[in-house]
Amino acid sequence: MTGFRFKHGMVLSTAILMVALAGCNNSSDASGSNGSTSSPSAGSNSTNAEKPKDDVKKPVTITWWHSMSGTNEKAVDKIVTDFNASQSDVQVQAIYQGTYDESLNKLKASIGSNSGPDLIQTYEIGSKFMIDSKMITPVQTFIDKDGFELSQLEPNITRYYTIDGKLNAMPFNTSNPILYYNKDAFKEAGLDPEKPPKTYEEFEQAAKALSKNGKPGASIAIYGWFMEQFFANQNADYVNNGNGRDSAATESLVNSEAGVKTLEWWKRMLDEGAVSNLGRKTADTNSAFAAGQIAMTLDSTAGLRNIVESVGGKFEVGTGFLPKPASADKGGVVVGGASLYIMNSKPEEQQKATWAFIQYLASPEVQAEWSVNTGYFPITKAAYDQQVLKDNMVKYPQFQTAVDQLHASTESTATSGAVMGVFPEARQLVEGGIEAALNGQKQPKQALDEVAQQITKKIADYNKTLK
Amino acid sequence: MSELDNQLSLAIHGKPTAAVTYNRTASLKKMRFRENVLAYTFLAPSLFLFAIFLFYPILKSVYLSLHSTDPTGQVAAYVGLDNFKELFSSGLFWNGMKVTAMFSLLTVPTSILLALLLAALTHNLRWGKRGFQFAFSLPLVLAVGTSSIIWKFLFHPSLGMLNYFLGLAGVAPIPWLVSPEWALLSVSLMTVWMNLGFNYIILSSGLQGIPDELYESAKIDGAGAVTMFRIITMPLLSPTLFFVVLVSIISAFQSFGQINILTSGGPMDSTSVFVFSIFQESFINFRFGAGSTQALMLFLVILLLTYIQFKWVERKVHYQ
Repeated sequence: MTGFRFKHGMVLSTAILMVALAGCNNSSDASGSNGSTSSPSAGSNSTNAEKPKDDVKKPVTITWWHSMSGTNEKAVDKIVTDFNASQSDVQVQAIYQGTYDESLNKLKASIGSNSGPDLIQTYEIGSKFMIDSKMITPVQTFIDKDGFELSQLEPNITRYYTIDGKLNAMPFNTSNPILYYNKDAFKEAGLDPEKPPKTYEEFEQAAKALSKNGKPGASIAIYGWFMEQFFANQNADYVNNGNGRDSAATESLVNSEAGVKTLEWWKRMLDEGAVSNLGRKTADTNSAFAAGQIAMTLDSTAGLRNIVESVGGKFEVGTGFLPKPASADKGGVVVGGASLYIMNSKPEEQQKATWAFIQYLASPEVQAEWSVNTGYFPITKAAYDQQVLKDNMVKYPQFQTAVDQLHASTESTATSGAVMGVFPEARQLVEGGIEAALNGQKQPKQALDEVAQQITKKIADYNKTLK
Repeated sequence: MSELDNQLSLAIHGKPTAAVTYNRTASLKKMRFRENVLAYTFLAPSLFLFAIFLFYPILKSVYLSLHSTDPTGQVAAYVGLDNFKELFSSGLFWNGMKVTAMFSLLTVPTSILLALLLAALTHNLRWGKRGFQFAFSLPLVLAVGTSSIIWKFLFHPSLGMLNYFLGLAGVAPIPWLVSPEWALLSVSLMTVWMNLGFNYIILSSGLQGIPDELYESAKIDGAGAVTMFRIITMPLLSPTLFFVVLVSIISAFQSFGQINILTSGGPMDSTSVFVFSIFQESFINFRFGAGSTQALMLFLVILLLTYIQFKWVERKVHYQ
């Protein structure tokens, strides 16, 4: 009996082992083939150089890691397929690598091996990290070499990615936050549906008017990005040293007047029952908005299409600028979204091929199509002359607000956006601080003081590890 | 090993001459050596896998915990015990410990008691037994991700089913995941439901392993349902219960998926259990040094807990 069981156990454990080993094998195979996509082409290039007689030129294959899922991923795939079909020199392979955080993780894991991408899409708050990591070739290098006309791009977008006097990454998907409001509810509440609130004070008035039988009329997701935007909208820097643009930031300014004023306003509206706290996710405020439970909310322009479609004609969706205090006259919004970095670990030929693909991505036709399919801004000015984009403006007139808001932003370090290496973490800390204030555990000023202190410490730690 | 022991004792009990003893010990040594070689050969594959996937990472964690890392995750400098000091002085460790302990207290006893109750109730059912067994073990087949998404819909502050039913009953909506007072309770509620399936299956099979004759003779002796449960069921079920408690506590300490999806540790770190905080520190903030420090601390805590359970709780377990 024991012998039988022993044999049985052995068989089982061997089987488990085999499975585990097979798993290892497979995964290493997969990563091998992923990584080797670049090596065969590199190999063939060198053989080409040795044997110039060989006139069949093999295309350069480049890999592009991106973080676009759902309909956006389909839009990415279409662009890549079109590009690959349009010429035979460069073949692009687009690979979805999960969220921006996950993709950055994989990038870090690939350091020192050949398995990294040629081109990676990274979120805007990863900018400082990408520069400090010394893993990239700034696109400025290629812009200067090729005489690429930078003025064809939106200056308010390229400003964000221009750090230390050079454009480090090519902007790809950019958005900014706008106010969404329910025009029908505005009419019912006796408000002018064509005049969305522009200031904190007007927003508060409207939210009060829209609230009925104890149900708040508006909601703002506790999303650190909004706090950053409220700062820029008051033309206030988020970190010191010219918002981290003159030299590396050393101190968080989140507890300055702009922040305290914003959080006090937010908390006051919550206490008055004018806004509700639906948590950190804009997906939750959006679904409450689409269901008609709240009549005003904030979200990225990239969510416009989704919001309009989920409302589905139940009411008319209006859009307005992001509100700011009546006393603030200058300022504007900062672009959010992500940009594309060329990795410097790859041979020059591949980097050149990558640059060729980036130029294709920046062309007005591609940008117009990308914008229509996703809701992000076109980064190229000429894209607005494309018919598809014009048609889309007719279908979604609300999008015009976002474009106007982008163009209305005054130029300053505040609206260029803050630069710091610990941005993702700073965002979590700010969100925690807002929660502490909204839940009444701390006074707004006190909450922000503590957050600023924590961020400043994290920045110091970060700066220490850089050499 | 037991066969070897037998031979050993046989050899000792005999009274052979000196030369024979010498020969015997020599051959015994040889045998023992061969036996060991054989044992380690069989163990080698699993030791090899353990070494790669467990021992090496642990050693690497110790190494990382003594260093700071630069933004790319490469080791930047040796910092001694700074990471540990920082962890304790920032209150991160104690908050993580507090939340994790609360989470375990809320989920482990409730889901075990509930599963035990359901298992006892369904055990003696005359009809519909299969149906109930199927229904109660169903949560087991759902992945954490899937269950979390379902519960996220239920918990939605304004559109969720839970608040909808509360509204019908005239109760004000509850800020399930949004308020720091409720968030941990809500996540625990979902976790209890999720763990119920596994606990139910294990406890049910434990109950089925108790022979019916015991109950029958107890009945003849005039024992009631409660007495039978106390005198027969509990002792005979104790090995199973011990196993379930052990596994539940370890899994409560390692919970991550539902927290990541439902609350991301918020609001105000009220659901930031230890594992989530490790994830956040290492893979969002990219401070592998600090992350490794926390991971090591968690390892020590789980080790201690498991030791305590084996040392004290297991004594109460009745093995047949």
